[in-house]
Amino acid sequence: MNGVQLYFRLIHISLLSRMQYQANFIVGILGLLFWNVINLGLIGVLVTQFTSLKDWTLWEVVFLYSLWIFGYSLYGVFFSHTSELENYLIEGTFDQFLLRPASPLIQLLGREFQLNELANVFIGLTGISLAYTRLDLHWDGWKWGFFIASVVSGGIIVLAINLLIACTGFWTGRSRGTSFIVSQFYYLVQQYPIDIFGMGFRLIVTGLLPVAFMNYYPALFLLDKVNHASPSWWLSYISPLVAFLLVGIVSVVWQLALIRYSSSGS
Amino acid sequence: MKIFWAFARQVFHGNAIYRFEFWMRLFWVYMLMYGVYWVWKTLYTQTPGAFGISLEQMVTYALLGMILDIVLDVGPEWYIANQVRTGAIDTDLMKPLDFHFHMLARSAGEMLFGLGILALPACAIGYFLFDLQPPGDAITSLLFATSVILSFFVFFHIGFLLGTLTVITLDIRSIAWAYYALISFFSGQIVPLWLFPDLLRKISNFLPFQAIYYIPISIYIKTLNGREALQALALQVFWAIILVFVSRWSWSRVHTRLTVQGG
Repeated sequence: MNGVQLYFRLIHISLLSRMQYQANFIVGILGLLFWNVINLGLIGVLVTQFTSLKDWTLWEVVFLYSLWIFGYSLYGVFFSHTSELENYLIEGTFDQFLLRPASPLIQLLGREFQLNELANVFIGLTGISLAYTRLDLHWDGWKWGFFIASVVSGGIIVLAINLLIACTGFWTGRSRGTSFIVSQFYYLVQQYPIDIFGMGFRLIVTGLLPVAFMNYYPALFLLDKVNHASPSWWLSYISPLVAFLLVGIVSVVWQLALIRYSSSGS
Repeated sequence: MKIFWAFARQVFHGNAIYRFEFWMRLFWVYMLMYGVYWVWKTLYTQTPGAFGISLEQMVTYALLGMILDIVLDVGPEWYIANQVRTGAIDTDLMKPLDFHFHMLARSAGEMLFGLGILALPACAIGYFLFDLQPPGDAITSLLFATSVILSFFVFFHIGFLLGTLTVITLDIRSIAWAYYALISFFSGQIVPLWLFPDLLRKISNFLPFQAIYYIPISIYIKTLNGREALQALALQVFWAIILVFVSRWSWSRVHTRLTVQGG
């Protein structure tokens, strides 16, 4: 059985166990929907009250938000078990992945299929469709292709960053603190166009934690907002490349981490 | 009262040993303040007249919304939900102590920790990095302090009610998102209520949530002053009393159908 088949097999099993808790599932979905609607509502109140946020209109901000959440939902649905790595390391239960004759990474990722996160797929799709019609966009084939590539890259970027952070647990034992802090950066980038913030912040979310490539940069191109006079215009086109690079980095780090791993015992 | 302080002190010390947690929470508040500061500054530079108040007041409002969060959001619902989930709730019920009172004491400990240990550095960050305005005069400060205590009371009871609900649903995580969204929206924590469209403002006037952030902060920046401030305080007292009764009543109802898991 190859890696992909194995992954879907594991996902299938976890799905069956999840469906044991149906009420919880429904409440979870409604909760997430509600949370996003309120979040968008708050931004909506602001942007309509003041007509725009810098040069981003209401629907452009909705587009930004939805593009982020759409990419993130791919991570959320399939790979959110990444954040549990820390627990396996602390409890010494990571050993089980090493004992079985299959890739430890696939075993870890296949542990959980988050059905609740489908709410985010829904929010992403709805937000983008609404923004598309309201902004009267007409994308050609290339733009559609780039849009899909950006969404997929978005999912990969979150996966890579979260996995990298989780990997620090192999060296330090704990990684929750770091992921807690990173989630703040996620939150700001998701909600607001980063050009309203200071230079330091923009550099961080472009270079160090490249989350701006999930929505801000591709949106500049998709919404025809690229300023070709600015020296950083090319950033709008390289999201897939960033995702690709991150995958390279994370696979090296993961190999190093496995070599480095020594069980906490018990 | 002695028992009250004993529990409160215990929680305070329990929090104080996690040094890393302290820095993390401080950084968290810093990021929140950073975000709101730039958003309001951008909006203000765009349309200076639209607020009806000065930029300093607006920024102070937004920053306080974030600082008060660490003081007020003591989360009794998480404690209750956790105890219910693990079955440890029976040890709480065996204590010869009123459960509601016990929770209030614990939460007061959390609040005092937030106030004494986290709020001061957070205010300093706000003051030096983001133009947080110091309180105007003695009377405003006094009204603000009273209002914050009442906010704590209201917020605690709303959380307690949610905790009571988890005795029935046995799970809190799925409800938590909706709950936090509701609070941050209708309490005016992020966007002051006067900027809401008419319909939403009318709805929020009938809800207890405005007593959590909107009232104390508005008193602080003096958009509510004199008679209006006193009326707002009275409204907080009104909600606090109602919520105490509702909480005690619901707990007594739910107590009888409590199932203890495990054990």
